[in-house]
Amino acid sequence: MAGGRDERAWVHGAQRGSASDLEALFRLHWPRAFRAAFLVVHDSAAAEDIAQESFLAAVRALDRFDRRRPFGPWLHRIVVNRAIDWSRARQLRGETELLNIVAAPLEPDPLDGSLLASLAALPPEHRAVIVLRHLLEYTPGEIAELLGLPRGTVNSRLRRGLDSLKEHV
Amino acid sequence: MRRELERVEIPGEHEARTRARAVVLVAFSEREPTPHRRSRRPVAALAAAVVVVAGLLSPPGRAVLGELRAAVGVERAQPALFSLPAPGRLLVSSDSGAWIVDPDGSKRLLGDYREASWSPFGRFVVAARRNELAALEPDGGVRWTVSRQDVRSPRWTGSPADTRIAYVDRLGLRVVAGDGRRDRLLAPAEGGALAWRPGPGFELAYVSASEVRLQDVETGGVRWRANAGRLPAARALSWSADGSRLLVVLSDRLLLLDGRGRELARRTVHGILTAALSPDGGRVALARRTEIVLLDDRLRGPRRVFAGGGRLEGLTWSQDGRWVLTGWPAADQWVFVRVTRGEPRIVAVSNVSAQFRSGTFPRVEGWCCAG
Repeated sequence: MAGGRDERAWVHGAQRGSASDLEALFRLHWPRAFRAAFLVVHDSAAAEDIAQESFLAAVRALDRFDRRRPFGPWLHRIVVNRAIDWSRARQLRGETELLNIVAAPLEPDPLDGSLLASLAALPPEHRAVIVLRHLLEYTPGEIAELLGLPRGTVNSRLRRGLDSLKEHV
Repeated sequence: MRRELERVEIPGEHEARTRARAVVLVAFSEREPTPHRRSRRPVAALAAAVVVVAGLLSPPGRAVLGELRAAVGVERAQPALFSLPAPGRLLVSSDSGAWIVDPDGSKRLLGDYREASWSPFGRFVVAARRNELAALEPDGGVRWTVSRQDVRSPRWTGSPADTRIAYVDRLGLRVVAGDGRRDRLLAPAEGGALAWRPGPGFELAYVSASEVRLQDVETGGVRWRANAGRLPAARALSWSADGSRLLVVLSDRLLLLDGRGRELARRTVHGILTAALSPDGGRVALARRTEIVLLDDRLRGPRRVFAGGGRLEGLTWSQDGRWVLTGWPAADQWVFVRVTRGEPRIVAVSNVSAQFRSGTFPRVEGWCCAG
């Protein structure tokens, strides 16, 4: 993992138009951004869209970014909020049911009784908190700030999530 | 816990990274790092410009951009349509009328028509003015005309011996023989998407309210109805060349039906603009927001083959199934994407509107038969 100084230098370089610095930021942050999105939405195509759109949003806003701050939380906030929105929208449309009933699976079903299956049983907002805490390793206070939630809400979602996932922890 | 979350296997992870990297770097190349944003320019041109700049920069910079070009397949946009990348001729509608584009890029204005489509085998063209349907020779000569009100969506089908044309007018869906005779109203008040089923007979699939129907236009009998009452109106219908599969394109999903109207697959996709089955029916090309995605014959395995910096318009397969053509109005470009195995290759053509003397972005109506 690159140090904060490297990251700041890459952000600065990217702001000045360096494609190789932007590439370095992508290389550093894509894997976790994509994985975080997938763990919230449980759909790899949607996760790709979400992570990609988040990077594009970051590129568009690059000039306004304060490079004294870390890039990761900025990106992760976009990714996780988009993933939550996508999951909510899917629930509203009942796509999951449609896909499960009518179509053959779009890809090998990852929900096979593993950690993912337990995660999938949680609401998307809870999945997001679990992912932020245990994949991206933010503190509850940081998660509260990233998602704009009271800290107590974050803690209760973490507790409930961990109860559901305890056999995998 | 973290280790467990990091060990979860995600289908297509590597491919997703490759695609996203290319798209992000192209978007970055478009970005103006000044407070005053300039007008958006074609990705191809900008990518080329960035390559020039990169030549002045460090070797790593050159490497990144070289990889970007390789990943996206972007080539410098041609300033004009010098040739088509696959056999066949294009039929195009613009403000100035309907045009035929030959393989060498030469263009011929057929006349002041606002919509057109090829006859089977590309021997003729059927074209629509506001109050006229016309059958044309490829040189623009008029074979016959029928006057009707608010004519649109002409589609021609049949064999060398016998053909039919379906179209929509103010009263509904009509059918006329290929010689301009026996014009009649087939389905009053119907005016949605329509597509002839390839093969013997004259069977027309069309969208009616919330269902898709297949009707034998000779007997009038409805062969089947699909998804009655459950679907919003479809945007487009697309048959495989052998008539065994029908793709139904809705705003938020794709349905694949067999020749008897039974559902083979469906896939929910956000932001669908249009989609079309490849000529062999083995793939689906999907225009979605700013990108072209390929799916397999079960609507699985999405593969992004092109991502632009603005909304795309239209999607047309070459007859050999090796290329798809989409319009990119924001860049005033046509983008030909080679969709054979391996990395996609992209040939972009600029200044499309001016080449067809059009104030609006020209629409590709079909890519038909060589000859």
